[in-house]
Parts: sequence; structure tokens; C-alpha cells
Amino acid sequence: MTILLIEDEKPLAEYLRGNLDVCGHGVDHVARGDDGLGLALSTPYDLLIVDRMLPALDGLSLVKRLRQAQNRVPVLILSNLGGLDDRVEGLNAGADDYLAKPFAFSELLARVNALLRRPLRGSDEPSLLKAGDLQLDRLKRKVTRSGQPIALQPREFSLLDYLMVRQGQVVTRTMLLEGVWNYSFDPKTNIVETHVSRLRSKLGGDMIQTVRGSGYMFRAPVPDAEVG
Amino acid sequence: MRLSLTLKSASFKLTAAYAMLFAVSVGMLATVTYLSVTGELSREFHGRILAEVDALKADYRAGSARQVLRAITDRQRGRLMDGLDYTLIDSQGRHLFGSLPAQPCKAGWITLIGPPDGDEAPGQMERLRVFVQPLPHGLCLMVGDDWGEIQDFGSLILRNFGWVFLLSLTLAVGGGFLLSSKFLKRIETINRTAEAIIGGDINRRVPRRSAPDDLDRLAATLNRMLDRTCELTDRIRHQSNDIAHDLRTPLGRLRRLMEPEGKAGWTSRQYERLLEQGTAEVDSILELFDAILRISQIESGSRRGGFQRFCISQLVADICETFAPSLEEGGKTIVQHVEPGLFILGDPELLTVSLANLLENTAVHTPAGSVVTVSLCSDGDCVALAVADDGPGVPQEDRIHIFQRFFRLESSRSTAGNGLGLSMVAAVADLHAARLSTADNGPGLKIDMVFARAS
Repeated sequence: MTILLIEDEKPLAEYLRGNLDVCGHGVDHVARGDDGLGLALSTPYDLLIVDRMLPALDGLSLVKRLRQAQNRVPVLILSNLGGLDDRVEGLNAGADDYLAKPFAFSELLARVNALLRRPLRGSDEPSLLKAGDLQLDRLKRKVTRSGQPIALQPREFSLLDYLMVRQGQVVTRTMLLEGVWNYSFDPKTNIVETHVSRLRSKLGGDMIQTVRGSGYMFRAPVPDAEVG
Repeated sequence: MRLSLTLKSASFKLTAAYAMLFAVSVGMLATVTYLSVTGELSREFHGRILAEVDALKADYRAGSARQVLRAITDRQRGRLMDGLDYTLIDSQGRHLFGSLPAQPCKAGWITLIGPPDGDEAPGQMERLRVFVQPLPHGLCLMVGDDWGEIQDFGSLILRNFGWVFLLSLTLAVGGGFLLSSKFLKRIETINRTAEAIIGGDINRRVPRRSAPDDLDRLAATLNRMLDRTCELTDRIRHQSNDIAHDLRTPLGRLRRLMEPEGKAGWTSRQYERLLEQGTAEVDSILELFDAILRISQIESGSRRGGFQRFCISQLVADICETFAPSLEEGGKTIVQHVEPGLFILGDPELLTVSLANLLENTAVHTPAGSVVTVSLCSDGDCVALAVADDGPGVPQEDRIHIFQRFFRLESSRSTAGNGLGLSMVAAVADLHAARLSTADNGPGLKIDMVFARAS
């Protein structure tokens, strides 16, 4: 997987490049917006990480130009602007995700992985999600395990949906707040934790694992027969 | 310097302009008066002479030259003071009466200049306006009067107006000068006050007069503005102090964490934990700044542009559902009384944050076993949102302060939080023009927000 990092802040670029490299992602780095756009249009990358404030061409314009050229490479915007409207503005420009600085590297990595594994836009979303003997029916809004229905609150249902789509990936608390609750702020209350723990106890087993210091990961349950 | 300042002052210029206007009007008045008075006088003057001539003509027709002579003599005797000049000349050019010099005998007006007769200004000649009337048999009748009197009267009018003009102009300019320098003196006082404030004496104010006038009202407004500025500056200073104070605590903890003392022989696991603690401290500092920036952004009012009509009932129910598990985990119960289908115009995201802050506030400041009641109901054109708890509450004297930035009750200094949660609620309420109030829930605290209902 190759990532193009367009970032003019040199220490941050070096830091990201080194750490992403350790995690198995090859990274090309340019500091100028126009250079980045040229490179992105001429070379097929798997993901672009774009700083919002760039010399020559700012990040949002870069993404807009990229989309105008029908380039659909996933884009993650990094920004010092973590204000209320900035995120919406970034996503409206055509970015796939938006991360405000300062951020934890684990947060960035989780989002990078999520974007890299995201099915290309436009492909049909399945109405039935399966993980081992667990089934989630989006149309009927029903969850069953080994055919037995599990009663979930609407929020728990959305949470499970979000996690099942990202099986085997680390999902951070912030990603859940944004994706499930549509909150762009971080409540001090442990709403994510309590909902995850309720969902966990309703599902049974250890399908939702806690990844220390990063977030959660959903793993398909091992059928009981195999365990036995 | 002082003189040129006065001459340049707006009040002097205004007075000068008025004086000019006054002068023009005096000039116009003088012209009109002169023309109408002299016109009327001259009409009367000529009329009198013509009437005289007509009468004498009639006398002649009734009799002869002798009758005319007698009539003239009678008339002259009758009007001694303003007697007209009569002259009758026969066909041979002999003066039968009077002494006006002989003229070509043709009916019409002539003006004669003669030696002064005593009623003229020194050096002026006598001016006579004379009507010449030929009579039958070669007789020539001339009747005239002193024309200079009327002209003198006209000049008198003009002269008097001239004096009035000069006097009023002098008064206007002098008065304007006096008024301006008085006005300038007061402006100078304001100026000196402003200079003093710039120089650092921020508590100086413009002195007031006992009799309120325009300038005094201006001074009062300026003083009020200065008071307000001082108050805001004070608040900013206060907040800077609070921020500094709030930063010292986590920074101090961070400093202590990084002290090398007592860390000899630590395992990497212990260092890992240390880094985690350090990161948490830094995060809390970042959170503080985020909160400050967020409140500033809300207070700027820029979010008002994105207001939309949305169902607040749905929003409140959603948040209650989201926060219920966490509150229950802390041994608290959340009870909702939400009237469905209520809409308001606003920013759903900010209201979510506000309600979350209110719920978090109750979660932090109430003991286990407390009941938090969230209610939403319509009241005419309003939608009232209330969050109430049955915890320890807030003393009445502190209740007005709880929406101030960084305000924290003495009793809750040790609990988590930065004293910005309710400031954010206040900023959001203000943005939505919502009425925000607190009340004693007996026991506990009740916070009300009243919005305008959207149809």
C-alpha cells in the first residue's frame, strides 16, 4: 500500500513517514500543494494524507481539483483547524475523512487503515452483514446469533453495524462518536464505553475487543461447536 | 494657535455660515424695502404734482390766466411748508409767476438742478422734478417739487440697513468666536481625558456639568463606553488569569511526572504508564484550549448562518438515550418528559453539545442515587427545555455566576472539569436568543432554556 503524504510541516512529515513505514505503509512525501496534486494525478496511490494549509495550493482546493479530475483516491485531511465548521467544510470538499491536529498516531493509523480497506464508493452496500454465526439485517433492523434474535437499542444497532463493516480493523473512540453518534465533539462522559459494554454483554462472547490506547476491534465469533 | 483653533472649529464655521446667511437676508430685506418705499413715495410725489396740474388746468378752463395766477397764489399760501414750486410763463417767455427757468413747452416730466435751498446735505444741489403743461394761448405751466427729499429718504433706508447689517455681522462673528472658544474648552477637556486614559489612567472620566446639554450627553455616553471597556478589559484580565491558573495545575502535574527522582530502576512498563499519564495531562490542556476557542467561535455568531429548522424533541430524546447508560453506571437515573414533534430554528450540533454539557454537569456534581429530569414542552410560541437534578444544588448567591467562564464552586474544585461547560451552554443559548435561567429545584439545581418555537 502506498500513501502520498502532502505536508509542509517537516518534523510532522518525518514522524508520520517513519511510523507509517513501521506499520507497513510505503510513504511518498511532498511539501507543496501543487506538487502533490501533480503527483497524485500522475501516480496511482492507495491513499492521500493532505494537510489543509499548504504552500502554493491549499489542501481543500487540492482535493476539489482531484475530484474534478475524476480521481477517487481516498483522502484524509489533516488540519490545525478543528473548529465546528471546518470538518464539514473538509468533507464537503470531497475528502473522505478529517482529522484535527494534534492527534494521536494510533488515531491516524486507525483512520488510514479504515480508508484503505473501505470498499470503493459507489459499490452497493449489502443489506445483510455476517460475521460467523452473527447476522445483522439492515432492512429489518434485526440481529440474530445462531438464529436466535438479540434485542438491541437503535444506538446499539448502529454501533454494531459500524463495527461489523470494519471487521478486524481498529476503530477509535472518536471514529465511533463521529460515525455512530454524528458527534464532532468529545463528551467527557464515557458514552462510547458504556454502549460498547452493553452491546458486548448482549452479544455475548468476545466479539468486540478493546485495543489498549487505541479503541475497539470487532472479530467474527468462533462458532460454539469449534470451541467445544 | 488657540485663535486659529477657534477659527477652524466646527462651531465657529457654523456661526460664520449663519452670519453669512443672515447678511444675505438683511441685504435682500434692504433691497425690497428700498424699492417698495421709494417706489411708493415717487408714485405719490408724481401723483401730487399731476393732481395739482390737473386742478390748475381745470381752473384755466373755467377762467383765464388770471384765475390760474390767483389759484397758484392761494395754493402757495395754503401750503407753506411743503409748497410746490409753480411757474407760469406766457407766450413771450415772460414769467407771470414763479422762478423756474423757462423750458421748451412740451407736456412731460423734467428734472432741474438748481442752487441749494437749505434742506440739502452740504455740497448737494437742489433737485427738482417738474411737470411741464402747455396751456392754451401759448401759456406754459410748470409745477415741481423737491425730488432730493425722496432720494435722501431712500439713502437713509439703505444707510440704516447698512448699520444693522454691520452690527449684526459683528455680533454674529464675535458671538460665534466666544461660543466656539467655550465649546472648544469643553472639547479640550474631553481630549485631555482621553489622553490621560491613553497614558494609563484608565479610571479617568470626562467631568459632567450640572445642566445637561448635548456635550454633556456626549460626555455621559463616553463615560459609559469607558466603563464598559474597563469592565471588558477587566473580564479579559480575569480570564487570562483563570486560564493561566487552570494551565498551571496540569502543567505542574506534568512537571512532577517528568521529575527523574524516584524513577531509578523503573521498568519499561512503568515508563509506559508514565507516558500515558503525561499524554492525558497534555490532552486535558488541549481540551481546555479547544473549549475556549469553541466558545469564542460560538460567541462570534458566525454559526447563525447555518441555522436550520429541526426537531428538538428528537434531539433531546436521542441525547437522553445516549447518556442514560453512563448515568446509570454512576448510580443515577435519567427521567425524560419530552413532548414529541417540537421544532425550533437553530444549530442541532451546538444544542447537542449544550445538552451533553448539562447532563455531564449533573453527572459530575450529583451523588449516586440522584435523579436527573430532562423535560421539553411547548408553551405558546416557546419551547422550554429544562434539566433538573436533586443533588446538592448551587447556593443562590453563586447561581448567577455559574455561566461565567472558569467559574467553579468551592465545593467542586476537586472534581473534574474546567468551568467552561456551562459557559458554552450560555454562549449557545445566546446564539439562539434563548432565555437561560437557573432555579432551585428544592433540592438540586434546575436549568431552563426557553427557545422560540418554529412553526
